[in-house]
Amino acid sequence: MKVSSLFAGALSALGIAPAVLLAAALVYPQAASAEETAAKLTLTVTNIAEHKGALMIAVYDAAGYDKDAQVAAGMVPVSGDTATTTFDLPPGQYGIKLFHDVDGDGKMGMNPFGMPTEPFAFSNSAPAQFGPAKWDAAKFDVAAPATSHTIKFN
Amino acid sequence: MNLSRRMLLHAGLMSGAALAVAPRVFAEETMPDWHIGYETAPAAGFGPAPMRLISGKVPAGLTGTLYRNGPAHFKHGDAYATHWFDGDGMMQRINITDGKAVHTGRYIDTQKRRLEMAANKFLAPGFGTVGDPSFPVSSSDDVNPGNISALMSGGELLALWEAGSAYRLDPVTLETKGLKSWRPDLKGMPFLAHPKRDPDGRVWNLAISGRRIGIYNINPDGTTKDFGMVDIGASHYIHDWTMTDRKVIILCQPWIQTKNMPPFIDGFVWKPEEGMKYLIADKDDLTKTRWAQGPARAFYHTGAAWEESDGTIRLDAAFYPEPVLGSGGGAAEIRGKVSGDQASSKLTMVVIPPPKNGTSGDAKMVETNIAGDFPQVDPRRNGLSRKLTAMVTGSVVNQPGGSALALQDWSSGEAQIYDFGSKYMVEEHLFIPKPGGTSEKDSWLIGTAINTRAQRSEVWAFDVANIEGGPVAVWQADYAWPLGFHGTWANA
Repeated sequence: MKVSSLFAGALSALGIAPAVLLAAALVYPQAASAEETAAKLTLTVTNIAEHKGALMIAVYDAAGYDKDAQVAAGMVPVSGDTATTTFDLPPGQYGIKLFHDVDGDGKMGMNPFGMPTEPFAFSNSAPAQFGPAKWDAAKFDVAAPATSHTIKFN
Repeated sequence: MNLSRRMLLHAGLMSGAALAVAPRVFAEETMPDWHIGYETAPAAGFGPAPMRLISGKVPAGLTGTLYRNGPAHFKHGDAYATHWFDGDGMMQRINITDGKAVHTGRYIDTQKRRLEMAANKFLAPGFGTVGDPSFPVSSSDDVNPGNISALMSGGELLALWEAGSAYRLDPVTLETKGLKSWRPDLKGMPFLAHPKRDPDGRVWNLAISGRRIGIYNINPDGTTKDFGMVDIGASHYIHDWTMTDRKVIILCQPWIQTKNMPPFIDGFVWKPEEGMKYLIADKDDLTKTRWAQGPARAFYHTGAAWEESDGTIRLDAAFYPEPVLGSGGGAAEIRGKVSGDQASSKLTMVVIPPPKNGTSGDAKMVETNIAGDFPQVDPRRNGLSRKLTAMVTGSVVNQPGGSALALQDWSSGEAQIYDFGSKYMVEEHLFIPKPGGTSEKDSWLIGTAINTRAQRSEVWAFDVANIEGGPVAVWQADYAWPLGFHGTWANA
């Protein structure tokens, strides 16, 4: 049965390019330039299983979601069930891909077949479907002056 | 005129339709007696419930637990499962203590089962199931029914599928504890349903992902010693494999994946012109490999293998001329019909010559006339030279499954057969070494059978020295549980 190979192939392209993401996080700590029309996105992540490490978060617009070209990124230390961070973004539609870097090595852990070994999630808590959640399932509106969004690990 | 004719026709058709429909309406009551093996088990499981000794006398020293796994849920509402292999797994536990047998059965508590039970619908894609496109699949464990086999490792009972993780179960209550991770970096790796145990307790198993094969090396205490990878060059369907004391042998049958969409087995094409290929890798150094080849055969199950002093490798398996139980396998039986998918196997010994110039040349085939499956050997001789292989054989017209046990003696070329009769469906029987004994014949064979006349499941025990003499003990439950696939024995 080759269920595994199908999923492995699809998920190795999960889309959270960890090294790129980390670099982005370091270079642009709060990313996107806060313009007059900026909206503050408060992101809350819940149901975190292991209370250590950090969440690695990437925010995309419609054009960048499938290409993993993020408009903002963040790294949020984990110390409990939930974690919260904020992003200043131009109002619009966005999608989020994140993973929990439990072991703190800055990378999304993968097993030898390329399957993630660390928890991951998408905006709207959209389920993965043979790969990352689709843009249509993950997109949400960020409006000025402030928007809240919650992502729950399952 | 026209109208009245139409009305008559309509009335005639209606009465004909009513007649045609009637048997189907009452189909549940007219199922053949063997269908008890394919009926959905109660959601709460079975027992613990004592089984009754109905024949023989329980031998002193026969103490332990037989665990068996298999699909046990085949219907949601009016919809039947579309492949036998995709039913939710249920672990059966038969504990034998002081001659008394007690049965317990519990479903493996999986994500697939939770979502499908809540929806009262089949949703997950699978081995032979298309699935609902809305079913969330982030990894193969989201569709993992945990329904093929069982392994005791490090004090844990594991329920095994083949394309996902093992499930950890409490060995007494059968409560599902979660997915097994052999090492943090191996989380989510598939664990094949046919692990092999060296006589010293070390467990070896495969992880399959297309042409890439991972090889687990598990210490007797259940910790992971090593995990390595080999490449077999193409995506063969691999359900089982074999090993000697020093070699891993991967049988690459010419049933090869050409597309990668559910239902997964439909992506495999039979290419007999490619023959069977055998990859032989050193357990101590997986980079040391060689190949052998032989005639095309399809198979699900091997017996075991050994290596002779000149490097000749012998292995046995239940070989079919072409694949069975592929697309739609068992779907007819789940509905009470016999599919006629009856390609006959032969218990076959494969003799692979010693290596010469880095290859092993052509394997020779020694075929018996024993048709059947579920070959088993003495666990004290797994990977070592041996004489005996037991397997399920026999068939009954218009009834699925086997009806007899065969015990092949490769040293004499002769087989003993015990026929249970036409009112039985016989399942895998395991060798249980007798305490203090050393030879293969110092064993019992223990397994299950469904008594279709009584509509009850039974546990049979034979003395390997004389299986033709019939069982030494038979216990019967007050009910039948569904047919299963494979089991394991624990001496406690």
